Amino acid sequence: MAGPLSLYVPGTSPLHRLPASVKLLGLLIGGLVITVPRPEPLLLGVAAAVLVALYLVAGLGLTELARQVWAVRWIIVVVLVGQLLFLPWHVAALTSIRMLLAILLAALVTLTTRASDILEAIERGLGPLRRLGVRTERIALVLGMAIRAVPIVIDLASEARDSQRARGVGGGPTAMVVPLLVGALRHADDVADALAARGMDDDEEPVMLEGSERLRGASRRPPRR
Amino acid sequence: MSESRPFSLSLSDLTRIAVFAALVAALGLAGAISLFGNAVPITLQTLGVMLAGTILGAWRGAISMTVLLVLVAVGLPLLSGGRGGFGVFLGPSAGYLLGWVAGAAVIGLLAAPRRGARPRPWRVLVACLVGGIGVVYLIGVPVQSLVTGVPLGETALLSLVFVPGDIVKAVLATLITVAVAKAYPAAFGGRRAATTPSEPTTASKTTA
Amino acid sequence: MTPAATPSAIVVDAVSVERNGVRVLESVTTTIDAHRVAVIGANGSGKSTFARLLNGLIVPSSGSVRVAGLDPVRQARKVRELVAFLFTNPESQIIMPTVAEDVAFSLRASGLPREEVSRRVIGILRHYGLDDLADRPAHELSGGQKQLLALCSGLVREPGILVADEPTTLLDAANTRRVSDALIALPQRLIVVTHDLALAARCDTALLFDRGRLIAQGDPGELIARYERELC
Repeated sequence: MAGPLSLYVPGTSPLHRLPASVKLLGLLIGGLVITVPRPEPLLLGVAAAVLVALYLVAGLGLTELARQVWAVRWIIVVVLVGQLLFLPWHVAALTSIRMLLAILLAALVTLTTRASDILEAIERGLGPLRRLGVRTERIALVLGMAIRAVPIVIDLASEARDSQRARGVGGGPTAMVVPLLVGALRHADDVADALAARGMDDDEEPVMLEGSERLRGASRRPPRR
Repeated sequence: MSESRPFSLSLSDLTRIAVFAALVAALGLAGAISLFGNAVPITLQTLGVMLAGTILGAWRGAISMTVLLVLVAVGLPLLSGGRGGFGVFLGPSAGYLLGWVAGAAVIGLLAAPRRGARPRPWRVLVACLVGGIGVVYLIGVPVQSLVTGVPLGETALLSLVFVPGDIVKAVLATLITVAVAKAYPAAFGGRRAATTPSEPTTASKTTA
Repeated sequence: MTPAATPSAIVVDAVSVERNGVRVLESVTTTIDAHRVAVIGANGSGKSTFARLLNGLIVPSSGSVRVAGLDPVRQARKVRELVAFLFTNPESQIIMPTVAEDVAFSLRASGLPREEVSRRVIGILRHYGLDDLADRPAHELSGGQKQLLALCSGLVREPGILVADEPTTLLDAANTRRVSDALIALPQRLIVVTHDLALAARCDTALLFDRGRLIAQGDPGELIARYERELC
């Protein structure tokens, strides 16, 4: 298992080894082919057959395919019920199948590609934006920090819940979310200090045109008149 | 401090953007309820989206929600019920997710036109109702209609089921925003001014 | 190993720091030229503020700070290259998701080739016994491991000075020992703010703070005794 924070299933299949960017492109094209034309039984049948073949090639097998279908069962059921209220049954069925196929195709990419590889592909894909002055490495930094922050914020949330229980306060979401937010904001500000201490400057960013003098040193100085 | 330039992000802006993306993910763990007759689960995540708008402001809130959606897209199970991966952007709730970005931006604009201003409750409430419900549905409903094939009007009708829950969340978001402004004033000043993290004497007290 | 690599002294001249109308440091003057310096005193005595002056995280309201001749506020980038900082809570200073990524983050602006970056990252992780954990998510580490990781991420940039703000406060006894040993063994100049008097005693010299004032500087043993006698 790749840990709770990932849906990736490790493997060595051709699909696993394909570069993330190729898979993303494939997903884009495949997704369009499935979702744009009117849902016809023939098209969806072919798509389903290709999808099953791909799951087998990826070494995920029919069990994983079934697991993926099972995971979205409620979405499908509930969509289908909504459709049946307003649409003829065969249109409803075909539209639901189309949606299911698209979701399964996307899941195939998710299951065979490490999140870090996709992030890297995105960063490279954004490369041309550099010329427009966008600091793409800052995008990568924020994405990395967000991943890092998820378990920390989850800890903060359970702390907030526990202390709320310990004080015997009623269980409204406000009583939990306020300390959670304060903890999260304080954590964010501590991380900003750590970033500065590790040599990252506020004015590292060339698109920042404000007086760098003020921003560099004065981040902690109360406003003076 | 006038900070109207969208990309003049300080270090604490960057870290807050990241932490709020994580926060909305964490709120999703509180669980989701799927209502019969609709495919979009109710979660505390949309409460988090509203708070991103009211506390981070328009630009930072919108960027933060974009960060979350990018992480979801690359395959992290950060949506309620552990959902994630590209699939969610091809499902019926895709439009609502994209609506989070625009919603947070509109909330930020309406709640605090000027950075550093203390939030006024009625403004915040209006912002959450307009941005957190109006804008999110404005994008969510048409996309849901496209994906499911159910006509627009009927889809809108189906989505009405969620409006009462969302109004409750808008009220909660307002109460929470005002409480956070008291408990951690630096939340709205951009950068905290006077706390030294490891010295409890200066740490602000939480008055929940 | 000698502190020969560390450039010359830290000079603090008549520094006061005022925050929201409260004086947190009052006219502190000192010259630090020892290898290992402990900074002791009660909560709120100004120790942490003092530590943060040394890399420009806090700006003096008056007076001047020079670290090897550099001004931590005006020359923040240079000073932060020279001075690594270790915070109390490792949770907030580990920035990237996995162990190796976090250490590598410190070198992102170094311009070093990729192989050299990973060579240095693995080298320092091995030195502190974390190399087996290189690809693990940081949140799976124990408290002591996290603090050692934070230390690695600071040291990989090869600073001349390490400033540590209560680095062992959140750790249990065994991990306190590990982190203290690692700090004391550093070839770099060490300035450690601490409530852990055993760690303070292992330093070469000490500064004693009380209510925003530096009240004594000298032999750690004597100052610890005075601290326990007068201020506890």
